[in-house]
Amino acid sequence: MSFAPNLSSFLGSLKESPTNVELSLQTLVDLFKRRQIRGSRQCAIATAHLLKQVIRRFKARDTVSLIKRVQDVGQKLTDAQPKELAISNIIRRILGVIRDEADGDKEGDAFQNYSSSEPGTPRKKGSMSPPQGQQNGVPVIADLEALHRPPLLTSHTSYMASTNGPIVTSMFSLLSQPLSDTSTPGSQSPAQQLYSSFNPTLRPQELSAEVIDGIDEIIDELDNMDDQIASYAIDHIHSNEIILTHGTSLTVQRFLLRAASKRRFTVIHAEGYPNQHHETHATITGKHKASSDGDPDQSDVQRFAKPLIEAGITVVLIPDAAVFALMSRVNKVILGTHAVLANGGLIASAGVKSIALAAREHRTPVVVVTGVYKLCPTFVFDFDSFIEYGEPGCVLGCAEDSDLIGKVDVENPLHDYVEGELVDLFITNLGGHAPFSLSSVITEQYRSEDTDLAVGN
Amino acid sequence: MPPAETSQATHDTEPKTSAQPSASQGQPTNGSTATHPSTPGPSSVQAAATPPANEEKLSNAELKKRAKAEKQAKRAQKKADEGVPPTQTGPSNPLRSAQQQQRQRAPPTPREASIPLPSLATTRQQGRQTQSQTRPLPHRLAHSTPQSQQETQVVENKNVALFEHLYKQPRRTTIAGVSKDVYRDVLAEGKSRLKHYAEPADNIQMIESYVTPPGTSLPRNLTLLLSPQIEYLGSCRSLSMSTRNAIRWLKLLINDVDIETAEEKAKSDLCEAIDNFIREKIIIADQLIASMASSKIKDGDTILTYAKSKVVTKTLLQAHAQGTKFKVIVIDSRPLFEGKELVQELAAAGLDVQYSLTHAISHLMQSASKVFLGAHAMLSNGRLYSRIGTAVVAMNASKLAKPVIVCCESIKFTDQLALDSIVTNEIVPPNELLLPEREGQERKQALASWRELPNLQLLDLMYDVTPADYIDMVITEYGSLPPSSVISIYRLSLST
Repeated sequence: MSFAPNLSSFLGSLKESPTNVELSLQTLVDLFKRRQIRGSRQCAIATAHLLKQVIRRFKARDTVSLIKRVQDVGQKLTDAQPKELAISNIIRRILGVIRDEADGDKEGDAFQNYSSSEPGTPRKKGSMSPPQGQQNGVPVIADLEALHRPPLLTSHTSYMASTNGPIVTSMFSLLSQPLSDTSTPGSQSPAQQLYSSFNPTLRPQELSAEVIDGIDEIIDELDNMDDQIASYAIDHIHSNEIILTHGTSLTVQRFLLRAASKRRFTVIHAEGYPNQHHETHATITGKHKASSDGDPDQSDVQRFAKPLIEAGITVVLIPDAAVFALMSRVNKVILGTHAVLANGGLIASAGVKSIALAAREHRTPVVVVTGVYKLCPTFVFDFDSFIEYGEPGCVLGCAEDSDLIGKVDVENPLHDYVEGELVDLFITNLGGHAPFSLSSVITEQYRSEDTDLAVGN
Repeated sequence: MPPAETSQATHDTEPKTSAQPSASQGQPTNGSTATHPSTPGPSSVQAAATPPANEEKLSNAELKKRAKAEKQAKRAQKKADEGVPPTQTGPSNPLRSAQQQQRQRAPPTPREASIPLPSLATTRQQGRQTQSQTRPLPHRLAHSTPQSQQETQVVENKNVALFEHLYKQPRRTTIAGVSKDVYRDVLAEGKSRLKHYAEPADNIQMIESYVTPPGTSLPRNLTLLLSPQIEYLGSCRSLSMSTRNAIRWLKLLINDVDIETAEEKAKSDLCEAIDNFIREKIIIADQLIASMASSKIKDGDTILTYAKSKVVTKTLLQAHAQGTKFKVIVIDSRPLFEGKELVQELAAAGLDVQYSLTHAISHLMQSASKVFLGAHAMLSNGRLYSRIGTAVVAMNASKLAKPVIVCCESIKFTDQLALDSIVTNEIVPPNELLLPEREGQERKQALASWRELPNLQLLDLMYDVTPADYIDMVITEYGSLPPSSVISIYRLSLST
C-alpha cells in the first residue's frame, strides 16, 4: 500500500478509487486483520463507508441479490475481525435499510417511507445528511435521487414513527405506519401495504440511491452520536459530584465536558495501565502526540477533545488498584464500552469489571455511555471468545525486567466481560435506558432476519 | 495600578490603617481636607501613614512600583499646574481607582467631585515628603495584598481534597535536623524505610549500646531516650501497626524493670527479651504460618496472590519444597511492582508462575482456586489493611466464591478500626506515578509537567481496607480463624 494504513487513509483511498470495490474490500479486511483500524467507532465508520461504495457499484436488479451481496461482504469483514462487534452491527443496520427500502418501495413510488431509511434514530432538524455535499464520488446518483424523491420535511416523521418503523414484523408496521402517514398526503392504507407482495424487481439505481441515502444517515449518526449522548449529560450529573471513570473513551470525555459547561464536579480517572495509560494521560493533560503517527484513535482524540482540566474540572489520576479504596466517596461511575451484548453485558476494556464490581459493592450507580451501534442483537454465552489479548510486553514494562521474560507466563487481556446486572443506566444517542429495556432498543435497531449474520447465508 | 501615587496614598492609607472602615468614613475625611485647608489634612495623612510597621524593607518590585508611582504623581502635578480642570480627569480618577481597589462602591458625592485643586496639590507634595521621610506604607499595603493573592493563585494546591488530612504526615527525605539523640542504627533504619517499603518489625538494638547516665534510674531514662528514636522513625514514614505494637511492648517491658536491678543485668535482660520477642513474634510466627498455610495448598491448585508478602512467599516456597504441584498467579500493580520480586523468587525456585497486573484480575481470577494475601495490619473489626489493590483482588475472589486466605502474624493485629481507606492511609509522593523516562525517547511523557497543569491532581495511596466479608480465613501463629476473631487474638497476644 502506498498510504499510511489507518482509517483516514482508507477513507481517502475510497474516495480516490471509487470503482475498485474489491480492492477496497481487501484493503479493509487487511486493515481489520492487522488491527490498524481498531476500536468500535473506527470499525463502524470504515464498514459503513465501504458498504456504501459496494452498494453504489452494485449492478444487480433486485433487492435479494443486493442483500446477498452485502451479506457476503459483511461476512468477509466480520471474519477479518470477529471481535469488533460494531462491524456486524453496522452491516445489520445497512441490511435493515435495504429491507426497509424494499418493503417501502413495493408500494410504488407514490409514497416513500422515508422514516424507515434510518431505523431507530430520533430525527432532529439538521441531522439529515446533506444529500449532495457528502457524495463527492457520484453526483449522478445524487441527481437521480433528487428527481425521484419528493423533498421531505423532517417534521413529518414523529419520534414514534421513526423508532417503530424498523420493527419489521407486519403487525408492528400495521400499528406504526398510520402514525407517520397521517402527516403525509397520499399515503397508502396499511392494509394495502400488508397485502402487497414483496416486489424484488426495482430499478437498481433507484434502490441504491435510497439505500445510500440511508447509509449516509448512519454515517451521519456515527458522527453526531457523541453530541447527542452528551446532550443528556446535564440530566445525570449534579454539582459537586465525584465521578469515577476509566480509560480513554471519547464519548465519556465529551459527556463530561458537556456537563462541565454547566456544573462543577470532580473526576477521578483510573488510568488503565498497561494498555491505555499513555492515551489516558494524553486525554487528561490534553497533550497529544505532535504528529499523529498512524494511530487513528490518537488523531481522533487530538481532533476533538479539549481536556477536562481546561474546562475547570478537577481531575484526579489514580492507578487502577485504587478504585476500591476510593469508591466509597464516588457518587457515580461513568464508563465507556467496547460493545453491549443483547443480555446487557458489556465487553469493555480490562479493569472495568473490577470498577463495576466495586461500584456495586458500594451501591454506587454505574452509567454506561455508548452509541447505539455498539448494541449487539446476538446472545452470547461464551463471553471469553470476545476477549482480546494484548502484548505481554506491556505488562512487564521496563526493559530492566527483561530477565523475567521466558521465566514467567504473562497474560494481558484487553477486555473484560461485565455482567449487565452491574450496570444501572445506559445512555445512548437515543436517550437513557434501564438495563432491562435495552433489549427493546436492540429490537428496534435491527431486523430480526439479520440477527444471525453468520448462519444467515 | 492607580495613576497617582500620593492622592492614592491618602485615600488608601486612611481606610487601610484604620482597619478597613466603610466608604462613608473615608470620604468625609477627604471632604474635610478639601473644604478646610486649615485643618491639617496632610498631617493627618502623615500620621495615618506612619504606623510603626512601615519601616520594613522594600523589595525590588516594590521599589520599582514606587518609582513608577512617583513618576505618575509628577505627571499629575504637572497637569494640575497647567490648570487642567481637576474635577473630572485629575483628582477624581485616582480617587475612584483607590476606591475600586478597596471595593468601596459608594458613588462619588458632589462634594468629593469638587475637591479644590490646591489642597490636593499640597496633599500630593506633602505626601511625597512623607514618602521620602518615612517608608511608604501605603504602597506596601496597596500592592502587597493583590500580589499575595496572585501568588496563591499561581501555586495551586495539588493535594486531593479528600485526603488533605493525610498530606500532613511529613516524609523526611534527609537526615538533616534529626535530634542528636537518635542512634546511628535507627538512622540507617529510617533511611532504608525511605527507600524500600520494607516492613521492619523492630530495630531496637540501640539498647545494647546504651549506657545509663549515672544518677538516673534506668527505666525512666531509657523511655525518655526511646521517644526521639520512635519519633524519628515515624517522621520517615508513618509507623506500621507492627512497629507500634513492638514499641508498646518494649515500653511496657522497660517500665517493668526493677529500679534496684544492676544496670548490666537490666540491659542484658532487656536485650534478651527483645531477641526473644523478635524470634517468637516474627521468625517463629512466620514459620508457623507458612507451614500451616502451605498445608492448605493441594495438588493442582492455582494460587493467586497480590503484590509481595514475606509470609506468602515463604508459604508458597514451602509448599513447593514439600512437593505439592501447583501454579501461582501473581497480580501486581503500579507504581511499586512488588510482585516482580516475588515472581523472581518463585521462578528461581522453579515454580510455574503467571504474572499480570490489576487490570487482568477479573479474568485471571477465573482460573484461580485459592487466593493468598499478605497483610499490613488486621484491624479489630476484621478488616484487612494491606497494600492498595488488595481489596480489588479480594472482591473479585469473593464474587467468584474463591477462598481468600490472609497470612498475618499476630503482631500485626491492632485494636484500631477503619471503615474505609480514606481516614487512615498513607499518601505516596505523586511523582512516583510518573512513567519512567526511557532512553532515546524523543517525546516527553504527557504527565511529566503535571504540576504546571491546572486542576490536574495525581493520587497514589499506599494501602486500602478490605471488608471482612471478602476474607474467609486468617492464618496466624495461633491458628486459623475467621476475621471476626481478630480482636480476641489481639487481646491474647497482648497478654502473652
